[in-house]
Amino acid sequence: MELSNQSVINIRNLEKSFGNKKVLKGIDLDVYPGQIIGYIGPNGVGKSTTVKIMLGLIGEYTGDVQVLGEDVSSGKVEYKRKIGYVPETADIYDNLTGREYLTFIGELHNIDYNEANEKAKSMMKLFGLKNVYDSRISSYSKGMKQKLLIISSLINDPEILFLDEPLSGIDANSVMVIKEVLEELKLQGKTVFYSSHIMEVVEKISNRIVLINDGQIVADGSFEELKGKSMEGSLEDIFNQLTGFNDHKEIAKEFVSIVQGANRYGGI
Amino acid sequence: MEEFRILKFLDIFDGMFQKFGIDYDTMRKILKVKLTLDGRRTPTTMLNSSNKKKKDGNNLIKSLGLYILLGIVFIPFIVLGESYLFQMSFVFGVIMFMMTITLVSDFSTVLLDLKDKDIILSRPINSKTLNIAKMIHITIYMFYITIAFIGPGFIAGFIKHGLLFSMIFFIEIILMDLLIIVLTALLYLLILKFFDGEKLKDIINYFQIILTITITVGYQLLGRLFSFDELLNIEFTPKPWQYILPPIWFGGPFELILNGNVSNYILMFTALAVVMPIIAIIIYTKLIPIFEYNLQKLNDTSGHSKPRNKGLNFYLAKIVCRSKEERTFFRFATNMIKKERVFKLRVYPSLGFSMIFPFIFILTAIGSEGLGWLKGSKMFLSLYFVGIMVPNIIMNLGYSGNYKGAWIYKIAPVVDLLSIIKGAVKASLVNIILPLYVLISIVSMFVFGGEVFIHLIIIFISILLYITICSKILNDTLPFSEPFETANHGSGLAMIPLMLLLGLFALAHFIAMTIPYGILIYMVVLIIINLFTWKKVFEVNKKLVNNR
Repeated sequence: MELSNQSVINIRNLEKSFGNKKVLKGIDLDVYPGQIIGYIGPNGVGKSTTVKIMLGLIGEYTGDVQVLGEDVSSGKVEYKRKIGYVPETADIYDNLTGREYLTFIGELHNIDYNEANEKAKSMMKLFGLKNVYDSRISSYSKGMKQKLLIISSLINDPEILFLDEPLSGIDANSVMVIKEVLEELKLQGKTVFYSSHIMEVVEKISNRIVLINDGQIVADGSFEELKGKSMEGSLEDIFNQLTGFNDHKEIAKEFVSIVQGANRYGGI
Repeated sequence: MEEFRILKFLDIFDGMFQKFGIDYDTMRKILKVKLTLDGRRTPTTMLNSSNKKKKDGNNLIKSLGLYILLGIVFIPFIVLGESYLFQMSFVFGVIMFMMTITLVSDFSTVLLDLKDKDIILSRPINSKTLNIAKMIHITIYMFYITIAFIGPGFIAGFIKHGLLFSMIFFIEIILMDLLIIVLTALLYLLILKFFDGEKLKDIINYFQIILTITITVGYQLLGRLFSFDELLNIEFTPKPWQYILPPIWFGGPFELILNGNVSNYILMFTALAVVMPIIAIIIYTKLIPIFEYNLQKLNDTSGHSKPRNKGLNFYLAKIVCRSKEERTFFRFATNMIKKERVFKLRVYPSLGFSMIFPFIFILTAIGSEGLGWLKGSKMFLSLYFVGIMVPNIIMNLGYSGNYKGAWIYKIAPVVDLLSIIKGAVKASLVNIILPLYVLISIVSMFVFGGEVFIHLIIIFISILLYITICSKILNDTLPFSEPFETANHGSGLAMIPLMLLLGLFALAHFIAMTIPYGILIYMVVLIIINLFTWKKVFEVNKKLVNNR
C-alpha cells in the first residue's frame, strides 16, 4: 500500500496537559503518504488537540512531533506550505466575500493572486457556489461555508490534509464529490488526516483507522484488521467496544422515561 | 478590496520590518484584510427590517469629533508657559491615561482575538508576523485617535512654540502610542501566564471596568484638584520615583531641546523616552510565541462551577413578579446580567459614574459652604443624578454578545410577551439599581442626617417611575436579542432629554417641599402614577413586539 517508506507524520510519546488535566498521555504515530487516516474517539479525548499540535497552533507539549520532516516545535513555518486544514469550529472572516477570502488564503501560501483567483473560482463553480463567489460569507449557509473551508484547505495543493469534521452540514451529493476527491488525492500519494464522529463515513473512506481514548491510542489498523481482532460488526460497534461503552440501551431507556416525566429515575 | 493609504505609508518602513524577522508582504496582506473587515463591521444579518442603515466606518469619525472636543482642555496647559518639563509631563500624563483606557476598552478584543490563530497560523505564517500585524492594526487606530485628541493642543503649541516643538510632540506621540500598546500587551501576557480561561476573561473585564471608572471620575476631579499656577513656580528637584513615571520621560526632550537644559536628570528622562518604547518592543517580539500559545487558554473551559439550584434569586422572583412566566424571565435576565461580559463592560462604568456624580456636587458644596451647612440643606436632591444609570441599563438590556440565542423567544410558547420585557427590567432593578441605591442611601443618611429618609423614599419612587419612562422610550426590542454593534445608533440622542427629565423630577420634589404636607401628597401621587405606568407602559411595547 505505502508508496514510500518515508513517514510524513512522525509522533513519538506525545503528552500534553492543560493545567492539571492531562489530555494526551503518550501518543505514538507514523503516517505514510497515500493514507487516509480516520482519527476517531469520543468527545474531549484530545483529537483536535493532536491536530492543532501538528499544525503548530498549540505548544508546550512533551515528546517529539515531526510533520514532513520538520520538528513542529522548531518554530519554522515552511512545512505548513504543504498542509491544508479544515478546522472543527468554522472560524472565517465572514465579512469578506468568497473571492476575497480565498485569494487571501492563497496569497498567504505565496500563490499569485490571479492563480489563486482562477483556482478558487473553478472550485467554487464545481461545488455549485459560482453565484455567491462575490457575496459576503456571512450570507452563506452552514454547508456553503463548509465547502468554502474545504476549498481553502486545498487551494495550495497540500501534501497533507487535516480535516476536522469536514462534512457537517454538506448535502449528500456534495459529500459524494468530496469523498471521491479524497480518494483521488490518496491515489496521488497525498495524505489525509480525517477526524469525525460519523462512523459510517470514516469506515468507508479511511484505509487506516486510529482510535484514541483517554489520551491514548487504543486501536490502529485498517477496518478489516480491527474486525479481525475478535471484534465484529460495524465501526460503530468496534468504537463502542473499545471505548468501553455498552450500556447505551439502558441509558436510552432511562432518558426517554425522564422525557415522559416518569418518576423512575432509578432506571429500568 | 480597496487600497489603503496608510498601507502605502507603511511601505516606507518595509526594510525595517524585514530586519525584525517579519514577512512584510504577508503582514501587509493581513492588514489589508483587517482594515477591509473594519469597514464592514456593521452586521449585515437580517436582524430586523427597520430603518437601520449601514454606516460603514462612521463610528470612528464620530468618536474622533468627541476626542477633539475633549482635547481642547490641553490648550491652556500647552501655551501657558515654557516650563516644558512640568507642562508636557502633565499633558502626556493625561494623554497616556486616556489612550490606555481607549486601548483597553476598544482594542482588547483585537489583541486577544483567537480567530486569527486558526485561520492564519495554520498557514505558513510565523506568529511574529501575525502578531506585529495585529499591533500595527491597533496602532493605526490609536494613532488616529491620539492625533484627534491632541489636535487642538498641537495646533496651539505650533502657534505658540513653533515648528521644533511640534516635531518633538509628533515623534513622541508615536513613541508613546507604541509604548502603551506594548505595555498593555505585556500585561495581558502576564495575566495569561498565570490565569486561565474564564478567570482571565473576568480579570480583563474587571480591569476594563475599573480603568473606565477611574478615567471618568479622574477627569471630573482633575480640574478641581489641580492648582496649575502654583506648580509652575516650584523649583524642580528630581526624585527617584519620578524615573518610573513615563509621562515625565516625555517631558524631558522638550526641556532639553527647547530650553537647552542639559541637567543630568533631563538627559536621563530624554533617553528613557526614546529607549524604553524600543526596548519594550524588542522584549515583546521575543515573547510573541509564548503569547500566542497562552492565548489558546482563552478557549479552555476549566470546569469548576458550583452546582447551584435555587438560591436567593428564586425567592426574589417570587416577591417582585406576579406571573410565572415573568418569574422565569426575571431569573433568566438575572443570570444574563450577571454573566454577560460585554453587558457588564458597557453598564458598570456608568454605575460608578452615577454613584460618584452626586457626591461631586456635594463635595463642591462643602468646599464653598463648609460641612455643617449640609444638614438641613436641600443638597440631597443631587441624589437624583443616581438615575443617570437607568437609561444606560435599560438600553443595554436589549443587546447581547450572543444575540442569536434570542430565537428561543419565538420557539417557546410564551403567552405574554410583555413578561419577557417586564421580567428583564425588574431583574435589572433588583440586581443593579436597588442594591446601589440602598448603599447610596446609607451614605447619605450619614451625610445629611436621618430626616432625609422620607426624601430618599420619594427619590426612589421617582426612579421607579423613571424606569418605566426610559423603557418606553428606549427599549423597543426583546431583551438580549440584538448584537451590541448595532447599539448606540441614535439612542444617544434620546439620552439627553431623559437626563433633563431627572432635573424635572428634582424640581417637582423641590416644589413639593415648599408646600405644607406637599411631600406626603407628592409621594402618594407618585405611587399612583407608578401603579399605572408599570401596568400600561409595557403594553405599548407589546405592540412593537407583536409587530415583528
